[in-house]
Amino acid sequence: MVRRLLIDLPVRTEWASIEVIRTAVVNCLGVVFRDMDECHAIGTIISELLENAIKYGNWTREEDVLRLAVTGEPGHVTVVVEHPLDQGSEHARKLQEMLAALRRFPTAAAAYQARLADVAARPDGGGSGLGLARLAYEANCVLTAEFDGALVRLTGDVRP
Amino acid sequence: MVNPLDAGDLRIEPVPMPAPGVVRLLWKGRSTARNPGEVLGPYFQEILGEAQKNQSTVEMHFVALQHFNSSTVAAIIRLIQNARTRAVPLVFVYDEGVKWQKLSFDAMRVFVKSDGLLQMRSI
Repeated sequence: MVRRLLIDLPVRTEWASIEVIRTAVVNCLGVVFRDMDECHAIGTIISELLENAIKYGNWTREEDVLRLAVTGEPGHVTVVVEHPLDQGSEHARKLQEMLAALRRFPTAAAAYQARLADVAARPDGGGSGLGLARLAYEANCVLTAEFDGALVRLTGDVRP
Repeated sequence: MVNPLDAGDLRIEPVPMPAPGVVRLLWKGRSTARNPGEVLGPYFQEILGEAQKNQSTVEMHFVALQHFNSSTVAAIIRLIQNARTRAVPLVFVYDEGVKWQKLSFDAMRVFVKSDGLLQMRSI
């Protein structure tokens, strides 16, 4: 039998939803995979991507939906978070810039340490891409963003 | 004696009289607030003020912490900077057997300098 994990949920955009979902999915993964460290890493991908979606998504239209999908099979887990974001917006530009910047570093650790130093150098520290760099480093996650009309689909691919 | 902090799922608990010249704080639960710095910032300033006055070292024990978000990492970076400005020695203690803690705090070694004001200890 093929062992496969499939989770596909619309998520309410209240901040409190994030921790509920993270904890629920980590517990779920805990009965599928043996390595709790990896389950925690996937939970971190989920929470950081949902945090970004709630903070920076374009939530002006009531009908728009925040969607989380987690698919997994032995040796490969994918987390997808989809939310409204205009491709021409300032945040879309920053997002693409941050993902490109991550790829310019020789290692994910170097990229994350550079972001830590960047946060230290900024008075507000917000919107620094620290969360994305953290995912690449701590969760060994390859992040991509795909725009589809007024939606963005952020994908984190993990090979534990 | 400093007060504990309760903020949502996070509790930071002082250990009574851990050792002379040491303020020891245990982080418990999860730090997942949208803007954790709003609560942690003033609390850290209070701790650092006391420590500066009493010439104490501040030990932050993260071993019992289950999870923090990257906004909490940013608040911890501010703590490191403020402690250094006040010349308050700061020690972070984490569990290297827990992968996320090892990775998170190993990366923060980028802030360790020859002044010895920040120490990272793993158990």
